[in-house]
Amino acid sequence: MRLWVYVLRRLLLLIPTLIGLTFIVFILSHVSGTNIILSEYINPRLTGAARELVVQKLTNELHLNQPIYIQYFYWIYQVLQGNWGVTNTPIFSGQVTTAITLFFPNTIMLSVVASILIWVIGVPLGVYSAVNRDSPGDHTLRIGSFTLYAMPVYLIGVVLIILVGVYLKVLPFSGVVNPVLVSNLSWYVNGISYPTHIILIDAIIHGDGAVAWDAFLHLILPSVTLALAIVASMIRILRSSMLEVLDQDYIRLARSKGTPEQAVINLHARKNALLPVVTLFGATVAGLLGGVVVVETIFDYPGIGYWTTQALLVSDVGGIMASALLFGLILVFANLIVDLVYAFIDPRIRY
Amino acid sequence: MSEAEVRAKRWENTKLSLSVFFANKAAVVGLVIVMIYVVIGVIDEVYPPLIGITSAGTLVPNFFNPAPSPPSLAHLFGTTYPGVDLFSSIIKAIRIDLAYSLLVVAIGAAVGSVIGVISATVGGLMDEIVMRITDIFFSIPYLVLALAVGFILGRNLLNMSLALAIVWWPLYARYTRSQTLSTKEFTFVEAAKASGVSRLKIMFKHILPNTLPPVFIQVSLDLGSIMVIFSTLAFIGFITNASIPELGYLTSLGLSYVQTAPWAVIFPGVAITLFALAVNLMGDGLRDVIDPRRRS
Repeated sequence: MRLWVYVLRRLLLLIPTLIGLTFIVFILSHVSGTNIILSEYINPRLTGAARELVVQKLTNELHLNQPIYIQYFYWIYQVLQGNWGVTNTPIFSGQVTTAITLFFPNTIMLSVVASILIWVIGVPLGVYSAVNRDSPGDHTLRIGSFTLYAMPVYLIGVVLIILVGVYLKVLPFSGVVNPVLVSNLSWYVNGISYPTHIILIDAIIHGDGAVAWDAFLHLILPSVTLALAIVASMIRILRSSMLEVLDQDYIRLARSKGTPEQAVINLHARKNALLPVVTLFGATVAGLLGGVVVVETIFDYPGIGYWTTQALLVSDVGGIMASALLFGLILVFANLIVDLVYAFIDPRIRY
Repeated sequence: MSEAEVRAKRWENTKLSLSVFFANKAAVVGLVIVMIYVVIGVIDEVYPPLIGITSAGTLVPNFFNPAPSPPSLAHLFGTTYPGVDLFSSIIKAIRIDLAYSLLVVAIGAAVGSVIGVISATVGGLMDEIVMRITDIFFSIPYLVLALAVGFILGRNLLNMSLALAIVWWPLYARYTRSQTLSTKEFTFVEAAKASGVSRLKIMFKHILPNTLPPVFIQVSLDLGSIMVIFSTLAFIGFITNASIPELGYLTSLGLSYVQTAPWAVIFPGVAITLFALAVNLMGDGLRDVIDPRRRS
């Protein structure tokens, strides 16, 4: 199969996946019933005939009296228009899209820092573990990653809070910034920083060193927790794929023709061992998206995950379904990118 | 080969498998820990007073002294808010976590393996559609999907398991499908086909018995991860009834006291980790037995 045929096929496969994904989210948000959907839009103090009037009007506006498969098309149309509904949570009330623009930058920041940490920690340790197979270092790493792998994300977070935040008292573990520092700033109003909504970047833009440093300190524990939650599987997979590569004929050839061991590992082995890790990137994104929900909740970090759990606690259907849709879309496109990258770097995959 | 010879051969194989498993010390430790959890769960279910448990299904709060107190002789693991004895609560929680995780695995495996087998034996368009559907399920992060499904079903323990099963079946469907596809290629299936056995009979009599055992071993090894995710859902607020002993919920009870009472979050968390770790260790040993290629 030619490369472009593969790419085309992969892009076409995107269509049923996207339809399925939106359909699942649509069904979930509509199966809960008209009352729950409408409750987001209606003032709870409204009663009697006035309420009936509003219900009638909204039912028509939202097409809730139509058959469900027709409602789906109206819903998709609204979603494409950027109207994702309404959310009412303690941390935010209003349009879902506004909530996403406020919270999503923070989640991106957390995920990016965590993924950098994952690669920086994971790749060297995985390679070390495979190259020094059965050494004491390898054994320690394997026991460590095995234990980490079995730990729930929240336990990793709590252990870090206890060790670093409570006993050593070196890092803060709640929120994104010390409220005292930002109590009187022109670009930080009602807990929202402008223009990017990521306080660390905003502080740098406005040249406020003290706030930037504090925001950086607040970011460390959440991102380390998120990274530790995922890095264990990364080390394990890299180790086994590296071991497999080291056993290949071309490595034996390189060794037997007298290539220095360092060059064998760096030039011949590591690049090939990274191939499965590229596929793992898709899984990492999935892990990150699941992980942020827990990590943000523990550290009161105002991202999409924190908003989702807040929505769960107050039974806010808009917030939960919006994050399911958003996370689903991210994962679908992350997997698409992974597949395409993989096809470009590994010609075997196309056949 | 005579009947007796076949039996002797089988016994030899079993002995070899057992010796491979028991040579792996970590796997044996895992097995022992899993057995301890199972025994605790069973005693809790059958006759709780045997290990000094009263009112097995609920937490016993003490509102006269609600603040967490450190481990002592009266409270081996200390207490958590609101004055709940941690040791007995963890024992009670093990039964609930085990039972509901088993439920997730059972529903997920039943649905997934049936769909997987049918998809692989029928093949063609049907197979393609099933695979696309599993793709769609994989395209939503499982925690978020479970959260959304569980939210719609209503927040309680049973619905939490149902939500997780709905999230998990595609994994088992995929796994069963690939197992079935490889079983289909064996000569005995060819032979059955050639001698005119009906398609349905081939499926249930020849393919299924050879597909399911490895699938069920794989599935039971998921119990550790399932329990972790189950407790995570409980941790982020899926339990609305304040008196349910569940390990993730117990951890969340102690969360606001993390600065003064670390034991209130550490002990329930470790109870979960230990189980997941033990299942994984046992799984590594079991996989060595099933798949000899990995042994080296």
